[in-house]
Amino acid sequence: MVDAISLEIFRSALTAIAEEMGAVLMRSSYSPNIKERRDFSCALFDARGRLVAQAAHIPVHLGSMPDSVAEALVAFDHFAPGDIIALNDPFLGGTHLPDITLIAPIFVEVEEEQRLIGFAANRAHHADVGGMAPGSMPLATEIYQEGLIIPPLKLWEAGQPNRALLALLLRNVRTPDERRGDLAAQVAANRTAARRLQELVDRWGLAALEEHVEALIEYAARMARATIAAIPDGTYRFTDYLDDDGVTGECIPIAVTVTVRGSELTVDFTGSAPQVRGNVNTVASVARSATYYVVRCLMPEDAPMNHGTFAPVTVIAPRGSVVNARPPAAVAQGNVETSQRLVDAIFGALAQALPEVVPAASQGTMNNIAAGGIDPRTQQPFAYYETMGGGMGARPGLDGLSGVHTHMSNTLNTPVEAFEYAYPMRVTRYALRDGSGGVGKARGGDGLVREIRFEASAEVTLLTERRRLPPYGLQGGEPGRCGENWLYRRDGEVTLLPGKAHFRAEPGDRLVIASPGGGGWGQAPAPAAAERT
Amino acid sequence: MTAILAGVDTGGTFTDLVLFQEGKLRVHKVFSTPHDPSQAILEGLQELGALPRLRTLVHGSTVATNAVLEGKGARTGLITTAGFRDVLEIGRQTRPSLYNLRVQKVPPLVPRARRVEVIERLNERGEVLIPLDEGSLEEALATLAREEVEAVAVVLLFSFANPAHEQRVAEAARRRGWYVSASAEVLPEFREYERTSTLVLNAYVGPLIDRYLGQLEQALPAGTGLRIMQSNGGSISSAMARREAARTLLSGPAAGVVGARFVARASGIERLIALDIGGTSTDVSLVDGAITETTDGRIGGHPTKLPMIDIHTVGAGGGSLAWFDLGGALRVGPRSAGAVPGPAAYGRGGTEATVTDAHVVLGRLLPEAFLGGSRRLDMALARQAVGRIAERLGTSLEEAALGIVRIANANMEAAIRLISVERGLDPRHFTLVAFGGAGPLHACELAAALSIPRVLIPAAPGVLSALGMLVADVLKDYVRTLMVPIDQEQAQATIEAALAALEEQGRADLLAEGFAPEQIQIERYLDLRYVGQSYELTIPFGGDCARAAQQFHLAHERRFGYSDPNEPVQVVNVRLKARGLVEPPVLERQPLQPEAVVHPLERRQVIFAGEAGPVAHEVAIYAREALVPGARFTGPAIVTQYDTTTVVPPGWRARVDAVGNLLIELASDGPTDAQQLQQQRRQPAQAAQAQLAEEGSHVW
Repeated sequence: MVDAISLEIFRSALTAIAEEMGAVLMRSSYSPNIKERRDFSCALFDARGRLVAQAAHIPVHLGSMPDSVAEALVAFDHFAPGDIIALNDPFLGGTHLPDITLIAPIFVEVEEEQRLIGFAANRAHHADVGGMAPGSMPLATEIYQEGLIIPPLKLWEAGQPNRALLALLLRNVRTPDERRGDLAAQVAANRTAARRLQELVDRWGLAALEEHVEALIEYAARMARATIAAIPDGTYRFTDYLDDDGVTGECIPIAVTVTVRGSELTVDFTGSAPQVRGNVNTVASVARSATYYVVRCLMPEDAPMNHGTFAPVTVIAPRGSVVNARPPAAVAQGNVETSQRLVDAIFGALAQALPEVVPAASQGTMNNIAAGGIDPRTQQPFAYYETMGGGMGARPGLDGLSGVHTHMSNTLNTPVEAFEYAYPMRVTRYALRDGSGGVGKARGGDGLVREIRFEASAEVTLLTERRRLPPYGLQGGEPGRCGENWLYRRDGEVTLLPGKAHFRAEPGDRLVIASPGGGGWGQAPAPAAAERT
Repeated sequence: MTAILAGVDTGGTFTDLVLFQEGKLRVHKVFSTPHDPSQAILEGLQELGALPRLRTLVHGSTVATNAVLEGKGARTGLITTAGFRDVLEIGRQTRPSLYNLRVQKVPPLVPRARRVEVIERLNERGEVLIPLDEGSLEEALATLAREEVEAVAVVLLFSFANPAHEQRVAEAARRRGWYVSASAEVLPEFREYERTSTLVLNAYVGPLIDRYLGQLEQALPAGTGLRIMQSNGGSISSAMARREAARTLLSGPAAGVVGARFVARASGIERLIALDIGGTSTDVSLVDGAITETTDGRIGGHPTKLPMIDIHTVGAGGGSLAWFDLGGALRVGPRSAGAVPGPAAYGRGGTEATVTDAHVVLGRLLPEAFLGGSRRLDMALARQAVGRIAERLGTSLEEAALGIVRIANANMEAAIRLISVERGLDPRHFTLVAFGGAGPLHACELAAALSIPRVLIPAAPGVLSALGMLVADVLKDYVRTLMVPIDQEQAQATIEAALAALEEQGRADLLAEGFAPEQIQIERYLDLRYVGQSYELTIPFGGDCARAAQQFHLAHERRFGYSDPNEPVQVVNVRLKARGLVEPPVLERQPLQPEAVVHPLERRQVIFAGEAGPVAHEVAIYAREALVPGARFTGPAIVTQYDTTTVVPPGWRARVDAVGNLLIELASDGPTDAQQLQQQRRQPAQAAQAQLAEEGSHVW
């Protein structure tokens, strides 16, 4: 029988499994994105593919993990114990190509019979999946340039590895040893989930587990409805813009209409730009992730994360638009950059409904830096990819944090000393960017400055936003300062790079990335505003 | 008259003293004197008549910990490589919580105005890229002087590879009369943020500890040895603690684990899980022969990389509050009623139900026996508080109370799983050693949930930390980052050379502490990882690189479920422990009295969970003092003593062994139906797991 007590016990048991998967993945993987920066997500699903539990790893995968499992269920009508499905195809359950998802059907033994009770899935951002630029975050115009595309395929079949698939995969990436290690870590994470679920069934019985999964989904939906019901009914509109797609130089509108009716909430992106040539497009699951993230922020901090959490939320993403692109659109940046702008737009609309809750815009970018080449110390190829924190938007009555990842990301930085062991580059400065936060009654957080000196030739790609259009302030607060990317050539030439750039760096060149500050909140008292001008 | 050895644990409310003299342990508790903690120590020693013959005092205090938690440390400055003074504030660029729009970061212990830079730069091999600029050094020191700092941390990039610049800076700073702490001296290990945070902690608490221990040294009779407990479970001389004060943060909980291990060993138990449940939190730690350590500690949100006993803490304790969340689920903790107002039953104005109130309602805590009868628990207030929960649940009072305990247990159980199952260790091979005010209340139910077959309640569970201090070895930790492939030709020589240097330092330090060469024991370790990984596993090093690599593959397999012997392995750090062996007190063994008949004080109604809901049992209540070695009884039973209560549920039986430990085991002749069912179900699962583990060993 389900009661308020057993509900809590199952909730914590299931969440603990998803979290343990993450611990295994993080501590035994190779890609800096996974091991140092926790750019991954782990989740459990029931046999119908409904989300049962997801650990709090990275918000950008919130709404998109269920799509992976759904596509696996479409692609295969039969699963066996020991199967593992791999995919990264954004148009078949993925998000962008570096995110490889591994899905394991979970069988438990009940009365000497193997029963499929659900799925364990984890998704991790690999440092390289091939394509036209090291780090697989290129300035692309079609998805084929962005790397190897993996539709849902069995990487393991009934306990046997699919060596042909693995060989093909590893032959198409720049750092195959790392990829093999990361995939092994992902497999281990799913196996951990399988073991723990078996233990759970042994302890409580399958019937009790299934009963509680239903109850947990209802419980999460109740919590979500209570959250939405507290938002004043109405229709709220807001448009924010991406700087450009890196190809045409035109700004790209993200328009959103948020409708709150009782305990239901609809986010409609109709009016947003059609899909673009550059890779700031997103697939629909990323639009859902951004929406779910915003709703999740309005809920209590430790609210459960499952299928019910977003039952009262509807997302409308017009096909062929920049938020629901069709193949062969390039999408690498949609995940990291556009997702941030979707959040800005939704919060912008909700600020009208909840002026004392919603913060001003945060840095609105992840400041992606990718570099690759040959390390002269080892003669081995290297592929570096990192994202940078910035200023958080000011909150009502509370300054924004400085130098942190905001909204859809929360990945760690690479320690300078670890960075210099691993890559033929040096960090020559890493500091808070003074005065970049927007002025207001509450100040926006300051951005960061990171200066990198190249010690070897490298191909470099920058994917950054908020270089032309600053993060907005709210309720009279000023916007944060735009980010800036500077290249200091060894011969003295200095260039202000565009937000999206691809170039070859030579030894002695220096790259300076200054990330945006957060927007201010509320009208600043007069002297502070004067000081600023 | 033999000399006396004393362990003294100064806590917020009580100062616990444990004396060892002529094979006997004596225990005493006095009220702490927070304005001058040494007052309580002297008073306690006086009351025990111990002062004249006191040979060594081993002390643990919360002085450093509280300074950090309350932000009352020394006015501290930080000197870094030019371009990096903000590293301390930026940290790892993450926000502490993902979905909290009002998330806050712990402010750095050194604000920006007191963070200064010197122009210099080394590379990862320790080669000088930019020589140290003396002008910038003078300017930096002048700024700190203007800021009137009392302590200074010096952390330059890659100083572990070449400490020359850092030494020069530290020397110049010391001439100004400040308490100076340089990273290559305290923690020559890579990853600049964590190193900086550790060094700043050290500087921040250093002057306070320095003063405090100086005073204490003065107050003790001349000739008394004073040793200080560290977070790594060993002690160091007062002189050394005054230099490396950060090593004493979190020493109290560490001493508890050492104490638990000591009493378990006296009963012949080597594998144990220490369970310390207090008012607001539960600390758990695993001892598998050796104590488990970590270098990923945190205090008040600030990371420290100094080795410490790996203690996992969850916010569930006697004072944890029961509440309903927005979705209507019943939750317990992490918010706590604290000391004031405390649980409703304390009668100090608390009205919300806590775990303690649930125990009172269930009859497990006897209202008149609380703290040796010095205080009474109010049953009516407890029933009122739990009653409000029951009303909302639509259940009986007893069901609600059982529910609160079950949820608290689930949180505690998760903590134990994290340090055992999740690290590849099966709790069924361990004994649960329970202490702290509430540990013995929950121990058996937790053991049942985790299939732990045996529970041990020490004779004096309330002073285990003080006992741990008394028995701790002197222990110094050393580390050095190397970053070499283990199969490289020169690896062996490089490792040996680095370890030899650490060993020389370790032996010198312990000789200076007064140990004879034969009392010094050296342990050597390597921090290893696959090339390209970011987390290391610490592997004992016997001198053979190939063997260490092999052990690493096995450890990786156990911890993460896979390994790959073909992957290259990298030596990140060498580590060394220099142990000064302290002759441990031997607990007196008393003859067992097999005929001992124990008479319960009385019998009462106590509620336990049955198949169909709460069941009231007629339960024997025993006084711990009356349980002589050899005494045996079966559950359900309650054992009361001064500062704790032990619950022995139905189906368990207890006995007191020769050293006075209470051992409680699942009665093997009559497991309950549920246990049998669980047992039957588990077997096929184990086979499946074994198979999975096998598959996992070579993934590709």
